[in-house]
Amino acid sequence: MIIRPKVKPVLAYLALIVPSTLVLLGFLWLLITSFSTRTEGLRSLGWTLHNWRFLWESPFGPGYPSVWRITLNTLLMSLIMTVIVVVVSSMTGYALARMKFPGRKSFLSLTLILHAFPSVTLLIPIYFVLLWITKIPFIGRGVPLLGGFGYNTVGGVALVMVAFQLPFGIWIMKGFFDNISWDMERSALIDGASRFKVWWQIIMPNIKPGVAALSVFSFLTAWNAYLIPLTFMVGRSGKSAVLSLYLQNFISESVMTEWNAVAAVGLFQLIPVVVFFLFTQEALLNIYGGGKKGGV
Amino acid sequence: MKITLEALCKLFGKVKAVDNLNLEIRDGEFVALLGPSGCGKTTTLLMLAGIYKPFSGSIRFGEKVVNHLIPKERNIGMVFQSYALYPHMSAFDNISYPLKLKKVHKREMKKRVQETADMMGIGELLDRKPAELSGGQQQRVAVARALVKEPAILLFDEPLSNLDAKLRLRMRGEIKRLQESLGVTSVYVTHDQVEAMTMASRIAVMNYGVLQTYGVPNQLYDHPDTLFVAGFIGAPPMNFLEMRFEERDNGFYLKSQALEIRIPDERGALAKQNDVPQRVTMGIRPEDISVVAERDGDFKAEVYLIEPLGREDLVTFRFDAEEIRALTPAPFDGWTGETICLKLDKEKVHLFNPETRFSVLKPGNGGSS
Repeated sequence: MIIRPKVKPVLAYLALIVPSTLVLLGFLWLLITSFSTRTEGLRSLGWTLHNWRFLWESPFGPGYPSVWRITLNTLLMSLIMTVIVVVVSSMTGYALARMKFPGRKSFLSLTLILHAFPSVTLLIPIYFVLLWITKIPFIGRGVPLLGGFGYNTVGGVALVMVAFQLPFGIWIMKGFFDNISWDMERSALIDGASRFKVWWQIIMPNIKPGVAALSVFSFLTAWNAYLIPLTFMVGRSGKSAVLSLYLQNFISESVMTEWNAVAAVGLFQLIPVVVFFLFTQEALLNIYGGGKKGGV
Repeated sequence: MKITLEALCKLFGKVKAVDNLNLEIRDGEFVALLGPSGCGKTTTLLMLAGIYKPFSGSIRFGEKVVNHLIPKERNIGMVFQSYALYPHMSAFDNISYPLKLKKVHKREMKKRVQETADMMGIGELLDRKPAELSGGQQQRVAVARALVKEPAILLFDEPLSNLDAKLRLRMRGEIKRLQESLGVTSVYVTHDQVEAMTMASRIAVMNYGVLQTYGVPNQLYDHPDTLFVAGFIGAPPMNFLEMRFEERDNGFYLKSQALEIRIPDERGALAKQNDVPQRVTMGIRPEDISVVAERDGDFKAEVYLIEPLGREDLVTFRFDAEEIRALTPAPFDGWTGETICLKLDKEKVHLFNPETRFSVLKPGNGGSS
């Protein structure tokens, strides 16, 4: 059967609209539920702000940190991870794309293997590493705000996340560096720039889209992370907990789960992501544009 | 600044990109490195720039060996084929970048950038980004950036290849004039023999990483050293015919099935002195072949193709399974398929040893090589 030219775009739109509607319905349900006492499908059985009271009082009792403290933790963890991943990836990516050194190729393949490696299998060894870091004075658990870099600290969890994110980041950044012409770099060297200045003043400004994309991607990964924080943080609403754990705390085996409150917290965690995404989606799309040009 | 290359070699893996290159460039000279792509000319240039380290041999600027100096310490300016402008900087920032790195005072920097830009005719465009400039303007910015630091040596890597034909012609003249007025020692890499011929004071022809010949343009054109140079320089290219070299009746003759010509005695004698083999390759440029009346002709050939070039016509003739091209005054008086008499200018006949591929008309090009 020949599809007439006019039918084609209609089909394409249909293929996009149907799944989008399904997804959007989920969000709509979340929104309605969070403001309702009970719901039947998408129909609210009574509007209330009760589910949102976690914003001004701790639902688990006064001994637990407020949601704002938890949000700060999440923000800190995401920022630490973003900064470290971007800085380390762009330096490593540059070296891999531009410099010749022994072991370059093996390093590159190792990076790719690490990227594909299932991180779950490493949780136990990492647990021991973090315990060991905890024993180091100050760095272990004495750093203000972050707690430290050991077990059950925001810094520690952030470092683990960085480790898992780096192979991906390095590979992506290398792809962006590969796209920059050698001539530009040579020209800068001849103009009298040092290698570091070439990287910082000439190359980096030209891969801003890549840096933006990787930043956004890393930030979102950290913000939404669940498994690693769950494993390396004690207590789902302890002092160092992050939002995903806080949310999980509402779902317990012993008490009946307040799904409306869960919806509210879930929405709360979602808002920054949506806002962030609205402003950065163009940068995020770049990661696939630039990243696909890898190669050794 | 005088440049001396001695036994310069560069390897990429097992590939010899530059093989035992010896070259001397006089102070203030404009030298073109000419050759087909992959012949090692750009590699040589990048070694001069300090981007590549030589595998062996030495590079001297003046009397100083610079093998291990980084680009920054060599005081060179370079213009790239891709212009290699920094896209995120304005034209002013591009040109001033070398000065900024040298920590030149701001006021001095501004003055020098403006002067150089004015000289290149882009003084009005300094606040534009490279993307807002045309190809020609970008190239001018690139040249200005190379010039602004007053380098001792200027390097050009096919700077005109990305420009359209008309602009290329104009920039060609401008770069030559600029180089002459500034007197900066310049090395110009190109695969375009016309560019090399028109701009350079001397041309070094390279092939497969080996220097083929080094000389002034006219010498390369009129007395090519090797078969490669003879074929590479000149457009349309030189014709080559396989002939037999014979000496009889106190004269020297070149003979094939369809054609026999007597060459001037001194040429023949020189060839004989250089151990000319019996089978030789004769070279004759298209402009040294003329259409004549039957009694004056050396041989007859059939008109195969007529290509008008405006001032002249390029005519391809066929005879005895051979093809030969001649430049004739336009309009060519003949038609395709017609048989016509041709005459070769015997003073302009080149002879090469097909084995060694060297000319046998050069003193000292004998059997030894």
